[in-house]
Amino acid sequence: MEELDRLGWAAGLAFVAHGVRVGIRANRAEVLDGLEKRLPLGWRPCAHQRVRHLYSLVAAGEDRANVRHFHVLYADAVRVLRTRDLQSVFSFLEYDLEVYVAEQARRRVFLHAGAVGWNGRAVILPGRTRSGKTTLVAALVRAGATYYSDEYAVIDDKGRVHPYPTPLAVRTGTGDVEKVPVEALGGRAGREPLPVGAVVMTRYQPGSVWRPRGLSSGRAVLQMLDHAYAARYAPERTLAALLQVAARAQMLTGVRGDAAEVARSLLDRVGRTP
Amino acid sequence: MKTEPPALPLRRETDLIVRPLSDETLVYDLARDTAHCLNATAAAVWCRCDGRTGVSELAAALRLECRITADEDVVWLALRQLQKARLLQARVPHPAVAHRSSRRDLIRKLGTAAALPIVMTILAPTARAQASDQCTGMDGVQRPCSENPCPAGFMCMQVGPDMACGCVAN
Repeated sequence: MEELDRLGWAAGLAFVAHGVRVGIRANRAEVLDGLEKRLPLGWRPCAHQRVRHLYSLVAAGEDRANVRHFHVLYADAVRVLRTRDLQSVFSFLEYDLEVYVAEQARRRVFLHAGAVGWNGRAVILPGRTRSGKTTLVAALVRAGATYYSDEYAVIDDKGRVHPYPTPLAVRTGTGDVEKVPVEALGGRAGREPLPVGAVVMTRYQPGSVWRPRGLSSGRAVLQMLDHAYAARYAPERTLAALLQVAARAQMLTGVRGDAAEVARSLLDRVGRTP
Repeated sequence: MKTEPPALPLRRETDLIVRPLSDETLVYDLARDTAHCLNATAAAVWCRCDGRTGVSELAAALRLECRITADEDVVWLALRQLQKARLLQARVPHPAVAHRSSRRDLIRKLGTAAALPIVMTILAPTARAQASDQCTGMDGVQRPCSENPCPAGFMCMQVGPDMACGCVAN
């Protein structure tokens, strides 16, 4: 790290997101322009000189005859990326920052899950990538639910879900990801934390009929833990938050077919719960 | 010459986070990063594994506490699962002469499958394991990152707008 510190750093920024202080520095000031819109949601600048995690970007100069230069990114003292494409560095940085903050967040537990609000309660949909979370979240929003997130259910120590309303990552027919603001679906994003009314473990299976069955609290917590970013880093705090959720929410599991049909059924079920 | 008496089951107590629920018990193993959900029967056996209580006494305790017609076979099934989950301090050898009942036999004896001891286990995921795993290999084909080989100490992830497979330090 000392060797890195000795390099000439032209610019840097420090920010805090969910209680985690992170710094980014670069050897050329202009490469940090526009980086702010790639920082994790809820970030704010931080005046502290000391950060918990520091990225160092050594941006390449102009190529010369027979000499190709690479951009190199370090996370603390570890070289994590070497590429000729600066956009790849930013994409990696955006991804890595989100994962780092999700894992290290001090007072929140991040689940890999979609989340919506309905009648003062949240419905969360933990699931792996390509399990159909975003499709179901979009269907719930079209059915009238408030958008909380299609990627993270951010849970506090009381078991409430906080909004993390990034644009929905909708996959197109070709498999590409298109970022769609919730307003484009005719919906709106939630602002207040909500207690969880239902946790739904489901994945899309073509031709399936939605026949959910209940899950015991213990099994539901185990399955939620399987989608928790801090499961290993802070298991005690993660378990405590998930137990709060399990104490109050309905736990449902089952494969699903058409998202619109499931959305109506889920909202009806959550709306009926006293 | 005397043979050593068989070891009595003794539960692990260190490096565990234990959270009892109304009819289940959650256990997180800090040493192995595994999480377990013990149903009522498995939990009742596990908390009585104090190194002084034998299998027949455990069966009697199950009959009393869980109100099920448990015999030693049910306890042995619980112990096998607890051992597999590494929640016991040492392996408890099953007596060679004893008959090992099948699950079907045990369900018949107990009258319900719900009374069978069950230990569900997951390996706690790393933060990066949650993230999107599809990337485009050198051949231009999209595949899960797990199928993209990376050297030791590195893991695969998507890099760049074209979601190319890249190896990053673990």
